[in-house]
Amino acid sequence: MSTRDLFTFHNRHFSIGVGITAAILIVTAIAGFVVLPFAQPWVRFSSIWDAICSAAGVAQRTASVTVPEQANRLSEVVLTSHTLSRPSQEAIGRGATLAQRCAICHGPIGISRADSPNLAGQYAAVIYKELHDFRSGARTNAVMSPFAVNLTDDEIADLSNYYAYLPRLPAYHPTPQLPKPNIVIYGAPLRGIAPCGACHGSLDNKTGSPWLEGQSDAYMKAQLQAFAAGERRNDISQQMRNIARAMTPQEIEAAAAYYASQPPDVVKAVD
Amino acid sequence: MSAQETHGSSAEVAARVERRWATIAVIIIVGMALLAAFAGIHQATMPQPRVETTDPSRIHLSGEFVESNLGSVLEANGNVTVRAIGQQYSFTPACIVVPVDTPITLRATSADVVHGILIQGTNVNTMLVPGYISEQLMRFTKTGDYLMPCQEFCSFGHEGMWGKVKVIDKADFANRAKGGGRLSCVGQ
Amino acid sequence: MLVNRKLILAHFWLAFALFGVALTLGAWQMFIRSPIGTWLSNPELYYRSLTAHGTVMGYVFPTLVAMGFGYAISESALEQRLVGVRWAWSGFWLIVIGSVMAVIPIALGRASVLYTFYPPLIGNLFYYLGVVLVVVGSWIWVALMSINLRLWRKAHPGAPVPLAMFANVAGSYLWAWTAVGAALELLLQIIPVAAGLKNTIDAGLGRIFFSWTLHAIVYFWLMPTYIAYYTIVPRAIGGRVYSDTMARISFILFLVVAMPIGMHHTFADPQVGAGFKFIHSAFTALVALPTLLTVFTICASVEIAARLRGGRGLFGWIRALPWDNPMMLALAFSFVMLGFGGAGGLINMSYQLDASIHNTQWITGHFHLIFGGAIVIMYFAIAYDLWPHLTGRELIDVRLIRSQLWLWFIGMIVTTFPWHWVGILGMPRRMAYFDFGDPAIAPQALSVIFSAIGGFILLTSGILFLVILARGMRAPQADAGAYRFALAVHQPTTVPVALNTHALWVALMIALTITNYGYPILNLATSGGTSVPAVYVGAQ
Repeated sequence: MSTRDLFTFHNRHFSIGVGITAAILIVTAIAGFVVLPFAQPWVRFSSIWDAICSAAGVAQRTASVTVPEQANRLSEVVLTSHTLSRPSQEAIGRGATLAQRCAICHGPIGISRADSPNLAGQYAAVIYKELHDFRSGARTNAVMSPFAVNLTDDEIADLSNYYAYLPRLPAYHPTPQLPKPNIVIYGAPLRGIAPCGACHGSLDNKTGSPWLEGQSDAYMKAQLQAFAAGERRNDISQQMRNIARAMTPQEIEAAAAYYASQPPDVVKAVD
Repeated sequence: MSAQETHGSSAEVAARVERRWATIAVIIIVGMALLAAFAGIHQATMPQPRVETTDPSRIHLSGEFVESNLGSVLEANGNVTVRAIGQQYSFTPACIVVPVDTPITLRATSADVVHGILIQGTNVNTMLVPGYISEQLMRFTKTGDYLMPCQEFCSFGHEGMWGKVKVIDKADFANRAKGGGRLSCVGQ
Repeated sequence: MLVNRKLILAHFWLAFALFGVALTLGAWQMFIRSPIGTWLSNPELYYRSLTAHGTVMGYVFPTLVAMGFGYAISESALEQRLVGVRWAWSGFWLIVIGSVMAVIPIALGRASVLYTFYPPLIGNLFYYLGVVLVVVGSWIWVALMSINLRLWRKAHPGAPVPLAMFANVAGSYLWAWTAVGAALELLLQIIPVAAGLKNTIDAGLGRIFFSWTLHAIVYFWLMPTYIAYYTIVPRAIGGRVYSDTMARISFILFLVVAMPIGMHHTFADPQVGAGFKFIHSAFTALVALPTLLTVFTICASVEIAARLRGGRGLFGWIRALPWDNPMMLALAFSFVMLGFGGAGGLINMSYQLDASIHNTQWITGHFHLIFGGAIVIMYFAIAYDLWPHLTGRELIDVRLIRSQLWLWFIGMIVTTFPWHWVGILGMPRRMAYFDFGDPAIAPQALSVIFSAIGGFILLTSGILFLVILARGMRAPQADAGAYRFALAVHQPTTVPVALNTHALWVALMIALTITNYGYPILNLATSGGTSVPAVYVGAQ
């Protein structure tokens, strides 16, 4: 009983085993690659090779399609989890110099005394994306747009890294901490609203979504309303408009008020 | 000698019974495979014929999944094409509108992680794998509202990823499609 | 002759202790997402629990059972001391270390990616490394099983390998090869990204690699159960195996056709060609064959036992079966669940029917019924059967054992039947909570409540199981005699070389993997441009 006696067509088990297996394989391959592709009247293949290659799964780039003109300028930023993931000390230093002109609204240490967003300790990808969008016109603001319009790509990256590097500090609108409203904790599943924290930091961070604790109530409410009304459109592929539209006005108020009342240490500082 | 013989013959009987059973089992299995192939062709439920690729982090910049091209469009031949994307944690359009009794091609992809589209009460069910385009043929026979949950774990907001499908009257859809552009039932 | 009892007991105890933990998590999950639970304020906890439940139940628990049972078979069926005991212990400790390494990041919420990994989601590196260690530990067992059989062959040239060992080694080879898919996914794709060496990954290719493992792993889980069907049940109920040859053919068929069918898990995926989907669908149909053959042979073997006990008539013999024997009870329950689960499996196998239930709660119901039901109930039976031989003490409380089996059976039916039903209604899998208050899904609420109740019945049964085993460690001593396996009606004196060795069938298994997986993997691995940015979970 050596393998020599086994692996030979003289061995009945070998010839039956290999024969049946090969037969099934050949029959199913012919059916799967030739017969079935052509049996589907709703698909057209140019040749038998086209049919076989398609059935085998040869990857094809999609033929270009004519798409309607975008009515409005939309975000052209490409964000991935490694966008600005490893800043250098020099970049942060250059960012600090550039940030002096932002201090009027956003505060000298990134904490705003007005209703502008606090930037200290914000995720770098968030500042990076918003600056690009302000520069391209995908997002507009009478005060902010002129500042952004002349920034270079490197300056935007440096500013983002600098603000991300700053420690997260308490905000200037002290209000008693509010209990977490249901819309923030649970979202509203069947309306397509996930818990806010799934993107905005307390559970997980979706790249490009800011953490919100301690931001201005008025600012957050205005942004949610702008998303809901479609006046703000720089969220890539409507990721925030989908959510804001499904929220009721009361939920928008409750969510904004809750986040405004929270201290920033709810989320871990960037390391 | 007789013990030997009984042994031999009963073993033979056992082997014969077994062979019969094995034959029945094989017939059952072949029958089922043929049934599946037949049903696939006659019910137009076959896997998508081609594998197509795309770059998920750039779908909003160019190609068929830019924002202005998402939604339903009435083609010249009377069919409807729906383009949609899945992303953490919503579908765009969040509400898809289609006409009843019309061949519809759904083309969809993911912008980030693996998602899935499932339309409840139908057999419309496909994965959205980032980097690849999913295509599915569908036809609705009843008007009404359908839920469209994401059926694959896509991280911690998965439980909140539910879209909707609205199947409306054909004439109504044709009316809405007159203005051109891409239709959806978002905000209705 | 069971010599290394401590080794075998260590495997079983670790397996069942982890099973207890994972079962508790499972029951909690059923409860918390049902209408009787309150929504979690942190849905991540659900996914964390789900990751732990799946990782333990999928990778650690059945592997340890197969290993412990495998060592027991090797020693008692071959009547030969286990060679490589030190290696066996090192395999065991690798699994312990791997489990701890994987469980810590899960418990900290750093690896809530589910046991199916789902790239481009990426969790903590140590979770994946832990899983790799578990697999490596089990590969030591595979090697030991092969070596021990080889040594026995040398000492017994030309003799038929005892059926239990033949099947056991077939199972170990199947595992060795099926684990390669997930291993490739982890080593080539996920671990480099989790370690920060790369930041993109081909999610579609990852799913193909995983399907290589994901389906055949089920047959690896199934092996101890089938070995028990053929070689323990007939002996325990006083019958004989109807046919030794048919048994060998069934195990050989599992070895050959369990592998090249995994892509039925990717029927709805866009990165797999339709032709390969069809081939895998056809081969999936074939895998029903060894199960149909087994059902026949075991029913015939059971009938022999009944007739030997004086059973008569076309179906009258069923009454003559030893129904108070836990092994008989376990077998009957297992077959009922296998029947329902198998019928569901035939639905999953067809592309057209699968479309209605893909990734719905139907699928969860299906594999809980097959694995948690038909398979695990036989793990219980194996443990009960082996325990007196391992501990040298008697398991006295037969009534408690029967109640435990009944509870498991009832619990599994109550859990999985409504689960299947809501799946047909389109309820998606793996969600931390559902808004049953909404009229659109309110009708599903009642079914989900039943499922949750079933979950608690299962938990009760699981606790009972552990209690019985623990009490068995302190029962009065009794010599259980040598551990024996069932004999066939016609014990083979010679077996054709093809049915006595695995080489041909392992070669066919590998060849079919190459034909059915080779091109899809090469195509995506070489086409380029399909890698996508990784998404790290739990990043704050």
